[in-house]
Parts: sequence; structure tokens; C-alpha cells
Amino acid sequence: MVAVNELQEMYENMVTARQYEERLQEEYLEGKQPAFDISAGPIPGELHLAAGHEAAGAGVCQHLRDDDTVTAPHRPHHVAIAKGVDLKRMTAEIFGRESGLSGGKGGHMHLFDPNVKFACSGIIAEGCPPAVGAGLAAKQRNTDSVAVAFLGEGAIDQGAFLESLNLASVQDLPVVFVVEDNDWAISMPKERVTDVENGAQRADGFGLHGARVDADDAVAVYDAARDAVGRARDGNGPSLLEVQVHRRMGHFMGDPEAYRPDEDKDAAQQRDSIERLEADLRANGVDDETIDDLRSRAHDRVEEAIEWAKDQPEPDPDDAYEDVFVNPPSGVTDSEPSTADTGGDD
Amino acid sequence: MSGTDDRVAVETSDRWPDDADETVGVVVNWFAAEGGHVAEGDAICEFQVEKVSVDVPAPATGTLEEIAVGEDEEFERGHRLAWIRPA
Amino acid sequence: MAQQEDNASDQQADRSLTMSRAMVEAIAHEMRANDEVFYMGEDVADYGGIFDSTQGLLEEFGRDRIMDVPISETAYLGAAVGAAQEGMRPIAELMFVDFFGVAMDQIYNQMAKNTYMSGGSVNVPMVLTAAVGGTYNDAAQHSQTLYGTFAHLPGMKVVVPSTAYDAKGLMHNAIRDDDPVVYMFHKRLMGIGWLPAPDGPKTGVPEDDYTIPFGSADVKREGADVTIVTLGLHVHRALEAAADLADDIDVEVVDLRTLVPLDTETILDSVAKTGHLVVVDEDYRSYGVTGEIIASVAEAALDDLEAVERVALPDVPIPYARPMEDEVIPGTDDITEAVRTARGDE
Repeated sequence: MVAVNELQEMYENMVTARQYEERLQEEYLEGKQPAFDISAGPIPGELHLAAGHEAAGAGVCQHLRDDDTVTAPHRPHHVAIAKGVDLKRMTAEIFGRESGLSGGKGGHMHLFDPNVKFACSGIIAEGCPPAVGAGLAAKQRNTDSVAVAFLGEGAIDQGAFLESLNLASVQDLPVVFVVEDNDWAISMPKERVTDVENGAQRADGFGLHGARVDADDAVAVYDAARDAVGRARDGNGPSLLEVQVHRRMGHFMGDPEAYRPDEDKDAAQQRDSIERLEADLRANGVDDETIDDLRSRAHDRVEEAIEWAKDQPEPDPDDAYEDVFVNPPSGVTDSEPSTADTGGDD
Repeated sequence: MSGTDDRVAVETSDRWPDDADETVGVVVNWFAAEGGHVAEGDAICEFQVEKVSVDVPAPATGTLEEIAVGEDEEFERGHRLAWIRPA
Repeated sequence: MAQQEDNASDQQADRSLTMSRAMVEAIAHEMRANDEVFYMGEDVADYGGIFDSTQGLLEEFGRDRIMDVPISETAYLGAAVGAAQEGMRPIAELMFVDFFGVAMDQIYNQMAKNTYMSGGSVNVPMVLTAAVGGTYNDAAQHSQTLYGTFAHLPGMKVVVPSTAYDAKGLMHNAIRDDDPVVYMFHKRLMGIGWLPAPDGPKTGVPEDDYTIPFGSADVKREGADVTIVTLGLHVHRALEAAADLADDIDVEVVDLRTLVPLDTETILDSVAKTGHLVVVDEDYRSYGVTGEIIASVAEAALDDLEAVERVALPDVPIPYARPMEDEVIPGTDDITEAVRTARGDE
């Protein structure tokens, strides 16, 4: 059983993530129609949206504290939101503004919020080794912090992931690997890149605990993650969790998905973990008014973050020369840590 | 429009992506220049609609006499992109 | 732009092609001529290459020869090395050159060195294609060119086309070459609808096959006062700068086309004429292409040099936000300014 207040928290996180991405999509497409020019509009560059993945972020992060480390891949927003990353500064980063998490240097694939120990990387599976390192630090220092690496199912064939499984396992580190299986690595369906249907079976080969959540279901993810995170926190070693999710918006904005059968696209729209969790809430006696409140709180938070971000100034071109080092050798420009006042996130 | 009767129009209606709701396209590339020779079936230009790129084959062999919609220009579905004078 | 006259197969073509289509035409021609040529990479089959590098090839050649592979660069790039050593002619694609890091051992310790370490008894006739370059705000992990990195390590021929005509002739040569060739295509030059190219890379392209020998730089514009040596996207920016300066300064633009082998003769001839050398590169400034070209000229013809300038990416990772990316990636104005400085106009 999951406590009702936890269900509500997960629901609010997931709705926030979905509404956030729908709004980002709108902003992103501005200036990109009818001709789609990736470098035009208020948000340039690639944008990988995670709509359909929300249950994985919310169900796992519900068990995490601020001192637990999370690494995410190129599709990070839902995990960042569930981990409690400052939404205003994250949004400003995505809009390339001076008050962004990285002052506009990182962009949407490279979000860093040390306050809640969140980071992401645009290279497939490359967040796994740093998560192992965070687990190593926790073990060495005798804390009960854990580290969680999120990755897509396309990443489970990558050396960095497989080596990380082994290192975490052989050293009994408090690490949880969460594979978000959305069936597609850009245009490559899972069955054409691995003969193992259940990615959690990768765990067997390295001697760590593995489990798969088949349904796109936040409560089932919550249950599986409670076990995996609990093991790590209690010193019982790493786990590999694979979670079925769905890709609702293409690999990146601008992906025409010509390779993807219509039935598969339709199926992804129908299996909505947010609707499912809403049904769970009602079954637990949560009334319409409460659900509406949660949704409107999410809505207000998203709108506030986007409005705030768009009001922020762009970085100075010369800011590009700062932050290569924290202790710059002579001749290299120094920089001050960003102290932008966001007026609080919640 | 006199003297243009025997020209063949380059159209896009039958190339429009089935699932596109958008009725405005953008020409992104011309592969032939005005006055150049084109062969029936060869891609002579490419347009984009809803992020999908579509090649337009020459409907006839001959001379590309007039380009009506240039690169980076928008056009409504059904609009003629060019005229070919058959050889 | 003047049509080059590299060899007898050059002919007046009524049609012009984008750079991606010219590359694909060469690949298709070689695949028809030789059953042992095949292409492997991520999203090269159904998708046709994220940057259109294999558009349409799946339909003609099928999945065995246009091969989607798992996200396992070490395995498939290394497999290309092995197949090449068996005498096949693989073309293997790194989706972004920035991803070389996950598979560098196969590239520089195997592909590049096996010929030498075997005393010439083994050869590796493969092509490694890779998308390079920024200008669309894809940030530090997806925007690099890394020209200097590959050219620095011995054992790889390094090709960087700037026009469709060159791309086709160089691709024919790359596939027929008995050594490993790294073929680096700039995303901004491919002529993709969603990433509009500048004027220039789309050129007339003969339908017949033709080769452009490696180590033959091309004078893209003749001039008497200042030599600009450059490659890739910056050929077009240099031509723009030359046009802007035409009333005051007569600029010659040399397109290197290959970094290994390097055509020093064409550079020296040009510098002997102009006495003023400006080297323009989209790669990092230090320990790279600009330093190498200038050192080569200084060694061979110090007396010819009246002035030297270099324009390159400063030694910082590529930032995301537009003002900062624009600051660090050399623009036409930066080139104009460097030419004027070389002429002592400032």
C-alpha cells in the first residue's frame, strides 16, 4: 500500500512534468513553423521531451532525499522535476538565460543542480559511471545516501552501462540503475538491438538484483523502487530496475517518426500513466476537488517558471570564457558563482 | 498567360504527406535552375511540411522554364511550384 | 563558385545537389559496384541518418548492407575494423563526432595503428563517417568538430568536404582507399530542411563517378593580397568575408579538403603570392589545425610570411546559449577583422 499523500505527491510531480513539457513544446515550436529550423525560436538546439516517462521519474524519486544523487540522460525533465530541481532556474537554462542553472552554458541536455544532487549528460549511458562514483563516496564515507542512474533502454547495450553494473555489483555499492524502456532508440525498436526482452536480465550476468515493471504504472514503479532503493540504503548493494514507459513526442522535437508504425504511436497515447494514477487516487477516496487543486497547482508552477525564465536576461557573450576551471590558471578569466534570486520555486 | 498552354506545372498535391494537417509547405531545396534541363522522374526540388521532407519529381522531360516558389519560400497546398516546357 | 576541374570526369551538370545527396550518390555507386561495401551505424536504415547521410539507401540495398546497430560504438566500430581487415569495405558512422569518446580505443589503437603495427601486412580499408560542427545551439557534447584530434593521431586519413561536388568525389576516393579514412561532414552543410545550409555547399554534381585525390586543396577563390586557409563550414564564411572585403583587399580562399594528407604545396604557393596568412578553423585553438598550418608554412617559407593571424574556437567547451555560442564559433566578421589585422589595417 502506498500512502495517499505519497500518491498525491507523485501525481502532482507527473502532472507538472507533463504540463511543463507541453508548454515547452509550444515555446520550442515558436519561430519554427511552417519551416522547422532547429536553430530558430526562443529555445534552439535539440529538445528531447519525456512525455510518457513520468511514472519512472516520480515512482523512483519518491524514495529519494536531497542528499541522494541522480544522473539522467538526454531526456531529463521529468526526473529533474521529481528530484526537486529548481524549476525556474532549469527553465531559464533551457531558454539559454543568464539565471539558468548553468548560466546558459549547459542547455536542456546538461542540467546540473548540486542542491539536490542532480546532473544529466547527453551521451548515452555516460551518467552510469558517475552514479557509481557517488555510490562509492557514500560507502566510503559511511553515509546512507544512494545514487540512481536513469538511462533509456537503448543504452543497455553500451559499455559504460555494463561496466558500471559490474563495478557497482562487485563493490556492493548503493546504486540503482533505472532503465526507462520506451521501446525505441530513436528509430530502432528494442527487438532489433537486443535479444533480451527483459532488460533487467542484464543484472543476472553481473550478480546484482534485477526487476522489471511491465506496466506504465507509477504505483508499481513506486513498489519496485522502494525495494531497490531500500536495498541500497541498507547496504545490500545495487539493483537494476527496468520500467516500461512510452514515448509520446518523438525522439526529439522535429523527429517526423516516419519509421514508427501508426499503431505504436496510437498505443503510446492511450497508455497514460497519469490517467492511471488519477484512477488510483479516486479509488483511494481522493475527490475531484483535490485532484483539480493538484492540477492547478502544477499548472501555476509551470506557468510561473516559464514566465520567470522568459523575463531573465540573456548571458553576456563574454560569459563564454568563464567556468572552464574553478581555479583558473593565470590568464584565464575567473568567474563568480551564480547568485540569481529566483524568489523560491514553490 | 498566352503561350504557356503547353507548359507542364510542377505540383505537390499528390506528394503531400497523408497525415499532415498543415496546408502550408516550404521549399527547402531546388536541384535544378531556371533554364536547366530536367528529366521526368528526377527529383527537382524538396519541400518540407510538418518537419517531413518530400522530394518532387519532374512531371516531364524538358526545360525548367520558371520557378514560381523559390527556396525558403512558403506555399499553400496545391500551389504550383514551377513550370516545365517539355522537350 | 567556380566549378573545380579535378579530373576528366568533371562535366557540366544541369542539376545541383545538396551535400548529403552527393555523399549518398557516391556511396550508392560504390555499393552497386562492390558487394563488399556496406554501411553500419545508428539510425542509418529506416531513418536514413539523422543528418541524411544514408537517405534512401535502405530501399535499394536492404538491411544487411544498410545496417542499424545497437548503441554500442566500441563494438560496431571495432567490428568495422575487423571486417575491413578481412578485406571488406565497411563504412561505419558515428552519429556525432563528439561520441568518439566511448569508442576511441577501436578508432586510434586499432583502426589507425594496425597497419603500422603489423609492418604493413594488415590493412584497414574502412571509412569512418561522422557528423561535425555547431551553429545550432546543441551545446558542448554535440557541437564539436574535433578536426585536430583525428588529424593529430597518425594512421588515419582525414577528409572534410565543404561542397556537394567535393563531397561526392572525396567519398568515392574514401571508399576506394586501402587505408582508414575519417570522413567528417558538417551538419550545417548537408542541406537538410530543418538545418538550413548557407549558400555555397549546394553545387552542380556530375552523375558519373569521379574521384578527388586526397591531399589536393582547392583554391575556392583567387586573390593576391591575403591567403585564408580553412575547411568545412568556414570555407563559406571565408568566401563571404572575402566578398565583403573585395573593394579593399583581394583575398584568396584555400579549402584544405583533407587534413591528412595535407596539401602544403597549395598553401605555400598562395602565401608566396600574398605574404599574408589567415587560418580559420571551427576546432579549438590550441594544439590544433591553425597552429599546424602556420608552423608548416613557417618551417618551409618563413621569409614569405609578412603577417599571420588565426581564427579558431577559443579553448572553452561550446556553450549552449545563442550569444555565447555566437561568441566562440568564428563568424564572418571575425574573419574579416583578422584579414584586416593581417594587412595592418588596424
